Amino acid sequence: MSSRSSKNKSGKGKRTGQGRSSLTAGKTPKSADASRLALLYSRYYEGKMQTIPKVPITSLNDFSIWYTPGVAAVSLAVARNQDLSFEYTNRWNNICILTDGSRVLGLGDIGPAGSLPVMEGKSLIYKFLGGVDAIPLPISAHEPSQMIDLAAFIQPAFGAIHLEDISSPKCFEILDSLREKLEIPVWHDDQQGTAGVTLAALLNSLILTNRKLDDARIVLFGAGAANIASARLMVAAGVPAGNLIVVDSKGILFPGREDMDHMMLSNKWKYELALTTNKERLSGNVDVAARGADALVAASTPGPNVLAPSTLRNMNKNAILFALSNPVPEIWPDAAKKAGVRIVATGRSDFPNQVNNSLLFPSIMRGVLDVRSRAIPDEAIVVAAQELAKYTRDEGTLSDEHILPTMMDLEIYPIVASAVGEKCVKMGLARKTLGRSQIEEIARRVIERSRKMVLSLQESHLIEPLPRDKRG
Amino acid sequence: MKRTEMRGMVETEIKKTSTEFEIREIKDDEVEKAAELVARLKKLNGEFDPLLKTEEKVEADSLRILKERIHDKDFVILVALSGSKVVGVVKAVLRDRIYYEPRKEGAIIEFYIMPEFRRGNLGRDLLVAIESMLRKKGAQLITAEFPSQNEIARRFYTKLGFRSLTNVFAKAS
Repeated sequence: MSSRSSKNKSGKGKRTGQGRSSLTAGKTPKSADASRLALLYSRYYEGKMQTIPKVPITSLNDFSIWYTPGVAAVSLAVARNQDLSFEYTNRWNNICILTDGSRVLGLGDIGPAGSLPVMEGKSLIYKFLGGVDAIPLPISAHEPSQMIDLAAFIQPAFGAIHLEDISSPKCFEILDSLREKLEIPVWHDDQQGTAGVTLAALLNSLILTNRKLDDARIVLFGAGAANIASARLMVAAGVPAGNLIVVDSKGILFPGREDMDHMMLSNKWKYELALTTNKERLSGNVDVAARGADALVAASTPGPNVLAPSTLRNMNKNAILFALSNPVPEIWPDAAKKAGVRIVATGRSDFPNQVNNSLLFPSIMRGVLDVRSRAIPDEAIVVAAQELAKYTRDEGTLSDEHILPTMMDLEIYPIVASAVGEKCVKMGLARKTLGRSQIEEIARRVIERSRKMVLSLQESHLIEPLPRDKRG
Repeated sequence: MKRTEMRGMVETEIKKTSTEFEIREIKDDEVEKAAELVARLKKLNGEFDPLLKTEEKVEADSLRILKERIHDKDFVILVALSGSKVVGVVKAVLRDRIYYEPRKEGAIIEFYIMPEFRRGNLGRDLLVAIESMLRKKGAQLITAEFPSQNEIARRFYTKLGFRSLTNVFAKAS
């Protein structure tokens, strides 16, 4: 793992290593091994997350402060001014990971109970990389209106809501509606997280191939949550919508397509893209779309033969391909390179250039929580993507095989958090007005404390060492 | 005939309109394209209710019927053109309302605009144009038919001063 040298913008937030010394990249176990170990360890630890106090308890008398009668004064103060809940309680750092389990990564519709282990895992990443206290909350309600109501009902308890693994197109309705309704940030990782990291990868790929965001021709293959969100975010970042070409299972989207009215009623988000993208009014399949394209972002169905080499051969010189389907990309990277693609990214950690949501969601959430933002606007996600891309350039590690940082680059989290927080402050969304260096310092402190706590619990064996694998 | 000429001819007041479209009566060589739009409308209706699901031959039927109606004096068929391209169509029929007054009804039975050309004022302009034509032909009452579940149409007509008059209830046997 590389170390970032003295590039701390604020000059205040000291480099601390943040547990870096005790964190190693380690070896990624093979898939079958990972499955076996996950079952073994999950049973051994009986879950991955728990709640623990953050105040001292020296005697039982302390409960007269932390609980009744003392707590009544705090309650009354918060009742009078509800924003004080961000000061007097842990609301400022509590989020919930809300899902109905209708589209769990790589597993599909496995329902709320089956999704709980995944949500616990997400919560663990939040705690370790972003210092965020994230409560897993799979629910057995599937109607968008029910999920919207539920999110609104639990708003008083949380600083933000993270939506996860909800099927498309209902995820769009839920996110859009909640973004409008709630007074706290709402994030849908499968849309905004993927879109943000994809944008960061695109920004650096365009730099490497001497292209500009406003005149690159970009094909989005697949029109599910990830690519619809990517298209929307690319436009927010300055890509002219007309330069995008979106291809779904029936072919290129264009305003005259036969199924436009069906789309208008069943997926208005895709319908919008059909109206606004593809200024050349191309029609046909992905081969037509890819001809002469500078970049192709595939988030369609697992490969490896979903994209043909012949499709990629017709792209522009120095072509960029993100084949993001998991667990197997639409085409293997070596096959794509043989077909003339210059830069390839996938969703996998065992190839270069992993487009991984974990590079963004912990820091974006950290940033909005630290300024007590009321929302996560697209502008903040664009800033986060720009900052993530810039980090690689500043490190001097930008290359065709390294267009993004990795999760091991722990420095990205406070840096991106501060950029996000600053944007929310500038846009008037923050309850707390802080400067960028202050936000970075807070983010750094919160993340560091969280990591130290985990490491300290490990050292004291309150988190027990991994059990011996008898078969191993 | 350009929009301005149309205004003169039908003596109607057209409020702010986009100048990019030409609205006029359909010509023979536009029937095929207009029929495609009518077929799209019928399929759109099918999206709202399974009892409005279209038959395989909806395109052929649309063309056949439109060819029959184009020279029928009881029918008014207007098209909206963007350049030479037909992007909207509206068809209405004059009916005699036995028992009721006013007797003469101009009923809009088909109305479709290509998705790309919606959201401007083209829908309103087409409606205003056909309303004027129908009144000129003696209609004292203008009606419009669309599937009960089509909230978009309901909002459109309500906004332009229409209200629900009769209901058609259905039960498949």
